Amino acid sequence: MTRIIIADDSATARMFIKRCLEIIGLEDAETVEAEDGREALAAAKEQPPDLFLVDLNMPVMDGETLLKWVKASPKLCDLPVIFITSAGNPAKEAQLLEMGARCVISKPVSPPVLMKALADFLEA
Amino acid sequence: MNQATPIDLAMRSAARQTFENMAFTGVLEHYNQDYEIPVSELIWASILIQDPVPGELRLAMPAPVLKTLTSAILGQADSEINQRQMNDVLFELLNTLAGLFITKLLREEQIFKLGLPEAGEGPLPELEEHAIVWKLMTLEEDPLQLIACGAPLMNLNK
Repeated sequence: MTRIIIADDSATARMFIKRCLEIIGLEDAETVEAEDGREALAAAKEQPPDLFLVDLNMPVMDGETLLKWVKASPKLCDLPVIFITSAGNPAKEAQLLEMGARCVISKPVSPPVLMKALADFLEA
Repeated sequence: MNQATPIDLAMRSAARQTFENMAFTGVLEHYNQDYEIPVSELIWASILIQDPVPGELRLAMPAPVLKTLTSAILGQADSEINQRQMNDVLFELLNTLAGLFITKLLREEQIFKLGLPEAGEGPLPELEEHAIVWKLMTLEEDPLQLIACGAPLMNLNK
């Protein structure tokens, strides 16, 4: 079963993302919700996911720091990290891609946009 | 009514996009620009724009309107909605709106940084001289109020 970690401090945002995943055909995925980067990292170390969906702006540990930790971990470094954020513009997107993010989606997220971002993943 | 300045255009577009996509309702100019949300019902949140142009955005509405929006967004009955869910929805609406607003306002190569949304308490703070207020309403004619303030941010209108 596909395991996806959704890291966002907003329960509303996590709900939106889960709803989008259902709509694009990932209704059977196991989703693990985390309120910040530290929770997401702990969940990933316990059992690595197939994919991270991450907000940029979070308390405790933000998405950028989470990405650095993921990329620094031999166990997690190859896993795709997709940002879903209100703080994404082309400049920030370029910076995050340079750091190893798979792609950056601007909020509000919609099923077609998420589907496009996950196209490779869904085909695999 | 606000003039069609860069800030005004960015805010209206961001508000429309946010409410259409998240709350499944449109946003219009309120028909009564003298309308004030009763303080007894007022619920609001603020978010700081930290870089590159410091400023603050506030989103305010009557609590019953937020409850209705929360119900629509979460797909739950009004009676099942609690205060925590309402705050979370208000924060996410403001967070999304702020990101869209600043993205529309700045050049593409400018990285920006937002703070985390915070709940306001009591009446809205007194407005500073150059603050801009948008008195809006949803398609259901429920009132909303948006405020932008902070001198560096307001200077983008010049």
